[in-house]
Amino acid sequence: MSAERYNRQIILKGFGEEAQQKLLRAKVLVIGAGGLGCPALQYLAAAGIGHIGIVDDDTISLSNLHRQILFTTADIGKLKVEVAGKRLQEMNPQIGIIRHPIRLQKNNILDILSRYDYILDGTDNFESRYLINDACALLNKPLIFAAVSGFEGQLAIFNTPDHSTLTPGTNYRDLFPLPPGKGEIPNCIENGIIGVLPGILGTMAAAETIKLVAKIGQPLTNKILNYNLLTQEQYTINISHGDGYTLPETVDEFLNMDYQDTSEAPQGYIEIDASELVKLQQLESTILIDVRERHEVPVLDKQVYTQVPMSEFATFLNKEFYQKQVVLICQHGIRSVAAAEALQEKYGDAKKIYSLKGGIVKWRDYFLKS
Amino acid sequence: MEIEIISFGQITEFINNQKIEVDGIADTDAFKQYIEDRFPALKGIKYKLALNKNIIQQNTKIANQATIAIMPPFSGG
Repeated sequence: MSAERYNRQIILKGFGEEAQQKLLRAKVLVIGAGGLGCPALQYLAAAGIGHIGIVDDDTISLSNLHRQILFTTADIGKLKVEVAGKRLQEMNPQIGIIRHPIRLQKNNILDILSRYDYILDGTDNFESRYLINDACALLNKPLIFAAVSGFEGQLAIFNTPDHSTLTPGTNYRDLFPLPPGKGEIPNCIENGIIGVLPGILGTMAAAETIKLVAKIGQPLTNKILNYNLLTQEQYTINISHGDGYTLPETVDEFLNMDYQDTSEAPQGYIEIDASELVKLQQLESTILIDVRERHEVPVLDKQVYTQVPMSEFATFLNKEFYQKQVVLICQHGIRSVAAAEALQEKYGDAKKIYSLKGGIVKWRDYFLKS
Repeated sequence: MEIEIISFGQITEFINNQKIEVDGIADTDAFKQYIEDRFPALKGIKYKLALNKNIIQQNTKIANQATIAIMPPFSGG
């Protein structure tokens, strides 16, 4: 029975029964049943991916319908995963569809992702994209990435070694080590989107998934493709490993990461991780202050980290310094917050104040190597 | 020497695809300095450079007739 359903691709030279069996054995998770997720899901289900998970906690609204083509006007108000799940199951009753009506967060993403072999990211915000990237890197799961902006799209495969060039898998942070601040990059709600664009990118993401699973062609491993709808031009760039960022290497480190947008923290100062510390360090006008007492270990390089123990901090507050960015560091990131609050009170918006979240203990690998 | 510039996303709003004739841009660090001076709006956003279709991770020499792409991150879906 399945042979007839998939007959046209099984008879295709370069695909065949063996590739079809690989699809049927594969477990693919599609995150986001939106403009990218809908077309991706349709083709993955139709092609016979054996187990498809859908993650989305959102309900269908009228303004979704011009691009989220699994849904009808009568579906408005219903859960996307329910409607998508039903449509896909009707389209192909031979496959398993698993609905996850949740928002992925640090505390649930590792559990969900570990049940699948391939992850397709069709989300619509940077917070989710960095969360998914880091979780995939930690779990060593191939990640098919698609994103759109204006009339353009980006498509890539991360966490997948390229066996032809012996390049280990790269990840999103090799391109963009840190998420942009709020408002830095426009999103679809503010910027608008033409429905067919995520349709194309979502379909291309499904194609890359099928190529990866069936082991055919040259998937976009360690490459990012830039697509322009207005010119129909594509520009593919090779990705290599970068440095200057931190990926969580253990579950504990992952759970301690901050995926919320930190750019508008209500407290005024900003809590950062080691990768942001590296970035700030490269700026000209940054002072790094170690607020631990002089006897505390590990001892940091005094050329790089200015020592101002908390016991002497009041004196320091009476002095002036020229640097515009101030990064405060202590053992666990607690005293540095107190120091950040004091500096924030003194300088307000005149200086940017940062505190290293989790302190030296959390980022000890970084401090010990540097 | 001649450098071809290709931009993507919102960067196209202020940097068109173009060929520039410049001297003294020996490497990608110098190019970054040049392009940010000429288009200060670039300083405020995250972007990545690619030289002849290879992502730049450290300062790299630029030869005549190089193509440099300027790519911002996209998140939309």
